[in-house]
Amino acid sequence: MTVLVRCEGVSRTYGSGPTATLALRPANCVIEVGQRIAMTGPSGSGKSTLLHLMAGLDDPTSGQVSWPAIGRRDELRPGPMAMVFQGPSLLAPLSVVENVALPLQLSGAKPADALRRALAALALLGLDGLADKLPEELSGGQAQRVAVARVLASDPVLILADEPTSQLDHDNATRTIDFLLAAADATGAALLVSTHDHSIADRFPVRWTVADGVVTTNGANR
Amino acid sequence: MTLSLTWIAGLLARRRGRLIATTLGVAIAVSLLAAIGAFLSGSTAAMTERAISRVPMDWQVEGQAGADPAKLLATVNAFPQTSTALPVGYADAAGYQATVGGKVSTAGPGLVLGIPDNYRATYPDEFTQLIGAERGVLIAQQLAANIGVTVGDTVQIQRVGLTPSGVKVDGVIDLPTADALFQKIGVPPGTPQPPPPDNVMLIPQATWHTIFDPLAAARPDLVRTQIHLSVDHAALPRDPGAAYIRIGGLGRNLETQLGGTGLVGNNLAHALAKARSDSVYARIVFLFLGLPGIILAGLVTASVAAAGANRRRREQALMRTRGATTRSLVRLGLAETLLVALVGGAVGLVGAFVIGRTAFGASGFGATTRDSVLWSVGALVAGAIVAAAAIALPAWRDARSLTVAAARQTVGRAGNPWWIRYGLDVICLAAAGLIFYWTGSNGYKLVLAVEGNAQVSVNYYSFLAPMFLWIGTGLLTWRIANLVLARGRGALARAARPLAGGLSGTVAASMVRQRRQISGALTLVALTVCFAASTAAFNATYKQQAEVDARLSKGADVVVTESQGAVVGPEGAARFTSIPGVKVVEPLQHRFAYIGADLQDLYGVNATTIVDHAQLQDSFFVGGTAKQLFATLAAKPDAILVSREAVIDYQLKPGDRVNLRIQNGRTKQTIPVRFTYAGIAKKFPSAPSDSFFVANAGYVAQQTKSNAVGTFLIQTGSTPPKQVAQLVAQKVGTSALVSDITSKRRKIAGSLTSVELAGLTRVELAYALVLAAAAAGLLLWLGLAERRRMFAIAHALGAKRRQLGSFIWTEITFVTAGGLILGAAGATGLAYMLVKVLTGVFDPPPTSLAVPWIYLTSVGLISIAAVVAAGIAALRAAHHPATATLRDL
Repeated sequence: MTVLVRCEGVSRTYGSGPTATLALRPANCVIEVGQRIAMTGPSGSGKSTLLHLMAGLDDPTSGQVSWPAIGRRDELRPGPMAMVFQGPSLLAPLSVVENVALPLQLSGAKPADALRRALAALALLGLDGLADKLPEELSGGQAQRVAVARVLASDPVLILADEPTSQLDHDNATRTIDFLLAAADATGAALLVSTHDHSIADRFPVRWTVADGVVTTNGANR
Repeated sequence: MTLSLTWIAGLLARRRGRLIATTLGVAIAVSLLAAIGAFLSGSTAAMTERAISRVPMDWQVEGQAGADPAKLLATVNAFPQTSTALPVGYADAAGYQATVGGKVSTAGPGLVLGIPDNYRATYPDEFTQLIGAERGVLIAQQLAANIGVTVGDTVQIQRVGLTPSGVKVDGVIDLPTADALFQKIGVPPGTPQPPPPDNVMLIPQATWHTIFDPLAAARPDLVRTQIHLSVDHAALPRDPGAAYIRIGGLGRNLETQLGGTGLVGNNLAHALAKARSDSVYARIVFLFLGLPGIILAGLVTASVAAAGANRRRREQALMRTRGATTRSLVRLGLAETLLVALVGGAVGLVGAFVIGRTAFGASGFGATTRDSVLWSVGALVAGAIVAAAAIALPAWRDARSLTVAAARQTVGRAGNPWWIRYGLDVICLAAAGLIFYWTGSNGYKLVLAVEGNAQVSVNYYSFLAPMFLWIGTGLLTWRIANLVLARGRGALARAARPLAGGLSGTVAASMVRQRRQISGALTLVALTVCFAASTAAFNATYKQQAEVDARLSKGADVVVTESQGAVVGPEGAARFTSIPGVKVVEPLQHRFAYIGADLQDLYGVNATTIVDHAQLQDSFFVGGTAKQLFATLAAKPDAILVSREAVIDYQLKPGDRVNLRIQNGRTKQTIPVRFTYAGIAKKFPSAPSDSFFVANAGYVAQQTKSNAVGTFLIQTGSTPPKQVAQLVAQKVGTSALVSDITSKRRKIAGSLTSVELAGLTRVELAYALVLAAAAAGLLLWLGLAERRRMFAIAHALGAKRRQLGSFIWTEITFVTAGGLILGAAGATGLAYMLVKVLTGVFDPPPTSLAVPWIYLTSVGLISIAAVVAAGIAALRAAHHPATATLRDL
């Protein structure tokens, strides 16, 4: 299978000296094309740290992260990789459609094309009625679904979602995961969702667990 | 209490930048106010000191009819405050006559003073030695000119009813304080004094007694005695107003003790009355220049605090969801306010103390200990108000009125604020215009300090004009910025294209939705630029006028005055043209001319060159610009410019004939010369005020058969005048008197409020620079820092450094360019209004505003440097978002 992300002996320690905190112990893991992975573990276990490392947003203290089927670190976003965050991640001064179009514009799409594709993505998820609203005018669930639409619009090969449902009630959480899976299906992208909700994790064929900075994939720490 | 302390500890640990910036804002407001207190303290004390030191002789006690001069002197000497007292004889001369070279010249009535031997050493500043000895028979310059005598000639003093008495002239002098020396003592305050006599001699007291004791016996009404005295200055208050009241009271006390035998001419009180109005002007200048700075410091502080308002609201919302009450939220705001006010106040006072010592030489914040305490407490209270307005008030307002959901909002769909709907900006500007017009119709008279009246009246309404203009400018700037952002999205996107490229539409959309914050930042930049530029323009104009004043008194950078009797024609200028540093040489004829019975100065000029070479200002003339009036002179040889007084006295209309009597250079007889009235000259270099003529030198030379030039005006360009003056002096030797403008400039700069004003404006300009940098850089940086979450999201979405920069640089460019342009426009109007309203501070009034380009360029560059630094810092933070920020997403 084609490997999208490979982590080899990747660890992360925050701070130094006596106050240093080991957030992630040396871990080995890969994400392959089209995979659906749920990463579970309690808060503070190291899920977000691993996700940020795989997204190229942070540097590992040791080990190496590579993206064999995608390219260099600076080519990940916007484009082949897209992210959904746990908190509100829409830009407050931009309308919903402008938010969805932003990654496309960042990747060089013409403004008119970007807006057209953004509207199409919103329509695909049934959110086109929110296009002209400001993020402040949305509920938490709506905002997360718009964030998913933003992912969908950029047509990625890998979607990393960092506890996208942690601030939502059960119904909204379920709908957001529905949207994420739909977006992944629509684009054929691999999807890694971190969550501490087992009912959500159960919907994914592959499960990783993280506890005290130790990553276990398919029951074995590879 | 514990919660407040925990909150403060948290702020110190995690919101240090915002806390330091707010504290510095309070410190700026406190230090500016306290520094101005130091300015007022230093300036009022210096004004009193200077006014006293400029009076050559404090009091003149004139004996009344029948008074015994010896008893008068004894009473004055017995007065506790007397430090020195000398008797001076005043006798009316019926006329003078002199025979020089076989020709007899006469002059009309005058005064002959009998002075003791030690008089000149006691009151040296009453004399300016021109030629000859410093002791013996001294003749005033004008009398010497009238009868054509010099050192060694004999003058016959004519006495009513007695035979003339001859004295031999030992020296020729000028009497710079003639107005005081020959004042009419005992007239009610405010009554115009007659002009001093033209024909004056000062002779030794023994000689005077020999000549005038017989006259005193025959005509006691023509002979009197004055006691000239100095009083003890040690006990005088430092404030000019208080010193004026004290010295006036002492004068009246002496008159009481004299029991009607003598009246006091109080020169010291007269000088202090002037200093009193100067000190009021100093206070006014503080109000005009200082107050906006303090308000601005408050606004910058409030804006700095407001830059963190969204975060504070979110924090409040979070705390309210955890059960915090409105009261506890307000208490936390007050705790922060207290911390900022105390630390900012302490830093501000220390700063003001250092500034006061270095800039004004003040040791405290007021003339007295009480004043110092009042200014210090006042400054601290002002700082506390600024802190409360910046922190506690918004916290209280938010805690009371915002819902949790609303508190989380950061942008919202902005509507227009109430003042835009009611057109408050337009109302303020209209009010400024109306008040300015009304002040102008009153001749911009701000201070009325009538001598003899303890009260000084100040027209405080005049302050409203610049105040409304400043407020109106600020509000209008906000309206314009808001309008451009609200309605000009398309244009903004097009304008942003060079910086934002394909993202320009998105960047424009982002700015449009944040237009309240952006308009606020732009307005503050504009107001600081307006404050800095208007203060600088006022200061530069003041300096320009001080230079004009010095030039007006002196005439040029270097002045060569030919000795009396020397006949040097305009060709004498050639001697100086080759001297290094000499840029131009302008010959200036100086004669005396009679109009009716009045003797006035007549200046003969080259009408085609004088305007440029003597740097004449339009404000010196009435009825046309300097160039226009001298073009008239150039076109019409017999044209003449006369003083305003002459126009009124002789009811002259343009084109009228003016007959003057001028001495013929060959025959030394006065001859009538016909001129045509062409305009009014209010001022002219080296001319006395109110009584002079300006005419074509060629015409005067032709009519008087002499082209003798009295003075050569030399301009030195960029070469120091002192250096050129030394070279010129070497060239002319002892045949002429050479002086330069440096000493005059020093004297002018040491008068009125200029020294203190220079100190005040220096401090103002420094504060303005700091405020401009703070408003432009700090606010943008804080605003951008507050949006680091937004930039972190954009970074996580894949925005490259250049793309993040397009958001930052476009906003910065809009705020800075808009602020600088609108601020400069506002500053132009405000500086014009300030200079007009404060006309009383200027002498002479300026023709045009001086633009301090170097300072203004510095303000612009520092503002731009501050915003570029802010942009780079924000961009760096945005491109490498803190892990914590990313983890928050």
